[in-house]
Amino acid sequence: MNRKKDKCFESPRPYKLTHQVVCINNINFQRKSVIGYVELTLFPTVVNLNRIKLNSKQCRIYRVRVNDLESPFIYNDPTLEVCHHEAKQRNLNYFSSAYTAAVNAVDPDTGNGELSIKVPSELWKQGDEMKVLKVYIEFSLDQPKGGLHFVVPDVEGSMAERGAHVFSFGYQNSTRFWFPCVDSFSELCTWKLEFTVDASMVAVSCGDLVESVYTHDMRKKTFHYVLPIPTAAPNISLAVGPFEILVDPYMHEVTHFCLPQLLPLLKHTMSYLHEVFEFYEEILTCRYPYSCFKTVFVDEAYVQVASYASMSIFSTNLLHSGLIIDQTPGTRRCLAQALAQQFFGCFISRMSWSDEWVLKGISGYIYGLYLKKTFGVNEYRHWIKEELDRIVDYELKTGGVLLHPTFVGGKEKDNPTPHLHFSIRNPHTLSWDYYKMFQCKAHLVMRLIENRISMEFMLQVFNKLLCLASTASSQKYQSHMWSQMLLSTSGFLKSISNVSGKDIGPLIKQWVDQSGVVKFFGSFAFNRKRNVLELEIRQDYTSSGTQKYVGPIKVTVQELDGSFNHTLQIEENSLKHDIPCHSKSRRNKKKKIPLMNGEEVDMDLSAMDADSPLLWIRIDPDMSILRKVEFEQADFMWQYQLRYERDVVAQEEAISALEAFPTAASRLALTDILEHDQCFYRVRMQACFCLAKIANAMVSTWTGPPAMKSLFTRMFCCKSCPNIVKTNNFINFQSYFLQKTMPVAMALLRDIHNLCPKEVLNFILDLIKYNDNRKNKFSDNYYRAELIDALTNSLTPAISVNNEACTVDSLNADVRLILEEVTRLLNMEKLLPSYRNTITVSCLRAVRTLQKNGHLPSDPSLFKSYAEYGHFVDVRVAALEAVVDYTRVDRSSEELQWLLDMVHSDPVHYVRHRILSMLSKNPPFTKAAESSLCNEALVDQLWRLMNSGTSHDWRLRCDAVNLYHTLFGLSRPSCLPLPELGLVLNLKEKKAVLNPTIKPEQEVDVPEPAPDLVFVSCKDEHFPMKEELVLSGVALAPQGLKRKAETPLASPPEPGQVLPEETVFKGLLKSRFPTQEEEDIDMDTVHDSQAFIYHHLNMLERPSTPGREPPAVEPQALMPTPAPPAPTFAKESSAPSRHAGAHQHHHRHHHEHKKKKKKHKHKHKHKHKHESKGKDREKERDPHAFGSSPARSPSLSD
Amino acid sequence: MKTLLLTEEGRMMADPAGMGGGSLNAATRSGTSKAATSPAENYFLARRRTLQVVVSSLLTESGFESAEKAAVETLTEMMQSYITEVGRCAKANCEHTARSTPTLSDVVITLVEMGSNVDTLPVYAKRSQRMVITAPPVTNAPVTPKALAAGQKRTHPGYVPSHFPDFPDPHTYIKTPTFREPVSEYQVVREKAASQRRDVERALTRFMAKTGETQSLFKDDITTFPLISARPSTIPYLSALLPSELELQMLEETDSSEQDDQTDTENNPNIMRDDAGADKENTVLPPGGVVPSMKTNDENMIDNPYLRPVKKPRVRRKK
Repeated sequence: MNRKKDKCFESPRPYKLTHQVVCINNINFQRKSVIGYVELTLFPTVVNLNRIKLNSKQCRIYRVRVNDLESPFIYNDPTLEVCHHEAKQRNLNYFSSAYTAAVNAVDPDTGNGELSIKVPSELWKQGDEMKVLKVYIEFSLDQPKGGLHFVVPDVEGSMAERGAHVFSFGYQNSTRFWFPCVDSFSELCTWKLEFTVDASMVAVSCGDLVESVYTHDMRKKTFHYVLPIPTAAPNISLAVGPFEILVDPYMHEVTHFCLPQLLPLLKHTMSYLHEVFEFYEEILTCRYPYSCFKTVFVDEAYVQVASYASMSIFSTNLLHSGLIIDQTPGTRRCLAQALAQQFFGCFISRMSWSDEWVLKGISGYIYGLYLKKTFGVNEYRHWIKEELDRIVDYELKTGGVLLHPTFVGGKEKDNPTPHLHFSIRNPHTLSWDYYKMFQCKAHLVMRLIENRISMEFMLQVFNKLLCLASTASSQKYQSHMWSQMLLSTSGFLKSISNVSGKDIGPLIKQWVDQSGVVKFFGSFAFNRKRNVLELEIRQDYTSSGTQKYVGPIKVTVQELDGSFNHTLQIEENSLKHDIPCHSKSRRNKKKKIPLMNGEEVDMDLSAMDADSPLLWIRIDPDMSILRKVEFEQADFMWQYQLRYERDVVAQEEAISALEAFPTAASRLALTDILEHDQCFYRVRMQACFCLAKIANAMVSTWTGPPAMKSLFTRMFCCKSCPNIVKTNNFINFQSYFLQKTMPVAMALLRDIHNLCPKEVLNFILDLIKYNDNRKNKFSDNYYRAELIDALTNSLTPAISVNNEACTVDSLNADVRLILEEVTRLLNMEKLLPSYRNTITVSCLRAVRTLQKNGHLPSDPSLFKSYAEYGHFVDVRVAALEAVVDYTRVDRSSEELQWLLDMVHSDPVHYVRHRILSMLSKNPPFTKAAESSLCNEALVDQLWRLMNSGTSHDWRLRCDAVNLYHTLFGLSRPSCLPLPELGLVLNLKEKKAVLNPTIKPEQEVDVPEPAPDLVFVSCKDEHFPMKEELVLSGVALAPQGLKRKAETPLASPPEPGQVLPEETVFKGLLKSRFPTQEEEDIDMDTVHDSQAFIYHHLNMLERPSTPGREPPAVEPQALMPTPAPPAPTFAKESSAPSRHAGAHQHHHRHHHEHKKKKKKHKHKHKHKHKHESKGKDREKERDPHAFGSSPARSPSLSD
Repeated sequence: MKTLLLTEEGRMMADPAGMGGGSLNAATRSGTSKAATSPAENYFLARRRTLQVVVSSLLTESGFESAEKAAVETLTEMMQSYITEVGRCAKANCEHTARSTPTLSDVVITLVEMGSNVDTLPVYAKRSQRMVITAPPVTNAPVTPKALAAGQKRTHPGYVPSHFPDFPDPHTYIKTPTFREPVSEYQVVREKAASQRRDVERALTRFMAKTGETQSLFKDDITTFPLISARPSTIPYLSALLPSELELQMLEETDSSEQDDQTDTENNPNIMRDDAGADKENTVLPPGGVVPSMKTNDENMIDNPYLRPVKKPRVRRKK
């Protein structure tokens, strides 16, 4: 959090967890249920610990005992239903804040939890002696929707024969879904795990398998695991199934598990894992921290790679045989990632959410080092460029990605990410895309740090962190050393400064504490008289997602006499930089030109400007700034750069730049690169596509055969008969990839009629026809799939004659040939399926493209049948993509409904996630455009989906939020009927406008500024009404509370009537209030916290009140004997209601950014002046979880 | 009438009574009737008949009027033996002197050796009462069936004396191709293979489509581009991940020709043994729940907790 401050980790909980036992006695695959118990050993850190809050979701809890004494408990989960039915709010602003509040209300990192256990009073005294408490919880899970995933194929036979298995999954800390725990990455403890499973199954979990014992009837066995290394609950996992076991032949402590029949694939896939191990252990000079490692490959995985303490769960689809080329690097990358996260992420855990970037950054960074070593420097640099482009594109599109958000202290008024429609305070509110980009940026920033302090120091830092952690892990819990295993931003920076002695503060400030990337525009002129290069570098730091960069930048200038690096200083006002040139423009023709790497080459210099010695210029060639550079230089310079610069990144940049220069010289340069077999294959692949674009731009002047055709013929066809491709031999991977790519690029060629040239089409058809893989030792499935992609690329819109429906007879002859191939291959795939069904995937895409171009009648039924559960997941996703596309093009509400139903009911979480993210990427309509699809029912359905339908899967919920945002934007969907009073009084502009967006309290038509308006005003520091707003904003909340408490069943406000503000809350809360009271009655300290419950309920209803309670109200309830809240509230209820709306918004900001002392004072000037802030905060946590609950969750107790 | 008889003792005796006449003709008839069987036999019968005629004429010269069939047969046999013996001895004599064709002197020596008085032969040959018999009716020697004219008959090479036997007929040793020369032109072969495969695939998929459920891309026409309908499977990842048998077979074929490192390590015997152990664990455990023997693991000394035997339940109850 505050990195200046924390030396040692401060737990938000009034106790310290030391050990936890998880015992699952029974796993029923038929019913998909689990029964077990947990026992947590904890040490109170305060006197009179009377409540223990734990995390638990969807578990049915039968009994709770604390030190063998039955204890009452409440189970409340506000995230089950974020906003309640009666609230007709349909705008995302409202939802987002309510959701953030709900998540925070159960966030273990703020000391909250869904499960609140009252410690029996007999044990209270023990707190003084700091005696150990053992909390024993019996629970069961029935058909869990999240946390554990059961895969039970519907075939004959026993569960083991059917390959039924179950595994844990989740996004971030999601262990609470399958057993009660402190679901925080910062609460470490040792573990004992016991799983009783069918005798034919294996239970794989974290830690060391101590023994496996049969039950007395010999039909089951119990696996006993012990994890002596302190580990956070989110890093605990489980996989049970009839797995085949493979002990790694190189490392006997490593065991691999896969589903039945896949053992040969597992053997092949895992044959090099030891190399990854060796690599990491070598660079980190540290042994793998756990005594064993397990990899489990499961079906229907949530993510491809999930790392847990001493084990990783992978998707079974990563397994491949030796025949497969394309999957091999992908799988190796996944394994390397998983292993990197074992060190940083599992063994070393994060202190708080805002320190996540350090762990993701380090694991991503060392994974990058592995890539560099295994796949080569070119691949590594290409990857870095790719990642850089991704993050730059994302940030420029959606606004910044903030690595290290600070929520305490500082300027709390600033929302760190006002551009986002979700909160980044908590991982569970993050959009998945954002999180992916977050990880991407994290490792890029680590690389920047490496650039600054050198790799040697960087590795020393990692080593130091690991050493500290492993020393700590072997200590007993009393020594309070375990917090060394938690990594925080400050701890990391401190290590860096200790090890390297360098100050990287500015770098961190620029990239970690701030969001945004740098956008440079460069241009230059050569001053012949002075022999000086006048470089102008401008920045755009005003558009969204950008930031201003001040500091050094490296510029490399390739001159005739050699390559020279210059470090320029980017400053506030200086745009122009003069760089003296070393060479004279008169050139010595015979001389070779030295390159950056010392190589000397002959160049044909005839293309260049006779007056200038400049060959090419590169800005920030080492990618040491997170930037986008748009640099202007002449086409011949790009061509020189492409041909002679040895850096693959430069080559790739040159290729993208050359797209704008469709000339014969560009063509030649690209062709040369394409032919040059020493050149990096990815560059050559990229050159193919660029060449196709250039050819299309030059279509009228193009001479010779279609681009790349003769090249392909020369490289891959028979000498004697150039129209026939050689029989496949993929032993040379570079040429394999080129052979795959060239036809795809060629198919993009167009003639003057904008059709794919007949020659090219026939060529591709011939490639398919003559494809012969009999002599090849590799599978050609990816190649054949790409040939179908090539056919797809060749398609152009059908020329429809008088709009008649497309029939078989109206098919164009070429299209008929294509369709012939597609149907044949699709049918063949049924008989001889290819690896990962790549061909089916390509065929489905081809069919959809045919439909879209009007060659086939547009019809989603084919895709729908392929999208059904039971097909391979890649096929399903491809089919779903087609349906999503159909939904957009044909505006079909039926298909949209079908998709949303699938989101509700599909058994595979990944598929649900993909449907929503594909819908967001390719939305059926957007907020900008009118659409018949946009109707109230859809709004309601989506609202329900994100409000309550996705409570079991945080990722899915965020996907739903994303989709809602794409479709309707932040404000109230336009398709909803306007509220009765269409006019809204805009206070600030002093005029009435048609209600533009429906404010949170739209039920009642209190004139109120629209939220976005308020938003702006809150950001504005100098808003004149600020002080007053603060005051009245505070006054507002208690007022609502009080009134509600007094008249819980007040009649709803009548439309059209202008009501005082307090009625708003009355209306909103009326229906929920009584239930809540009933449910809480079993607690003997109900009134203690009741005020808080009300307050939280209130807060959930209003966007203005997030979970973190302002001290304004809390202190009252914190008093041991409930202080009468009413008088306090009453005192403030006189606040003028006309400011209400604005105040609320202000209030919200307030909460999101924690307390600021000054305001705090303001708020409480009438009361509790004596309360110390620290005490205040500590106590506040306690009642929090009690109050944060909606009435829906069951409360169980004996 | 003087008749030649074969007495019981096996000696011939002249029977002046002339009994058994006409039997010679009968024997001849039966011989000819047999002769129809095969040309070679026919030839031998003809020769023998000529000999019989000679014997008969000699008998007639000697004054017999009739002869028993058996007696004539015996005399014929004797005559044949005699002539054969003369020929054989003459041949032997000739070869003895390293020649291949007997000369007159060979025959003379033979006759001398056999006790004939050679000097009386010319007188005997020129006797007045001798009978001249006509040439036998079957004069053509048996034609050895002409072998297939195959190839060129080879002559002796220079170092083989010309008197050595000729080479056998070419058909006995040369290869006679009986198939047509295949088309070996690369382009045609590829073309043929490609179209053959395509035809097979098309026919097969059409057949599958005809016999099963189909989907169609066109609503009005379901036959032109039939698609085998997509059928969900219960365990979709198996077919999608495991290489098909065809591919495995291909892999084996290519592997045998070009071994590469990867497969080498894979076939490392040590690993194979591990797997055997692991497999055994898997297969042994489920049915009986019997603790498996640990022999397999003892060999390779891998101590992995997942390979250890499952323990029997402890005697003491937990509760």
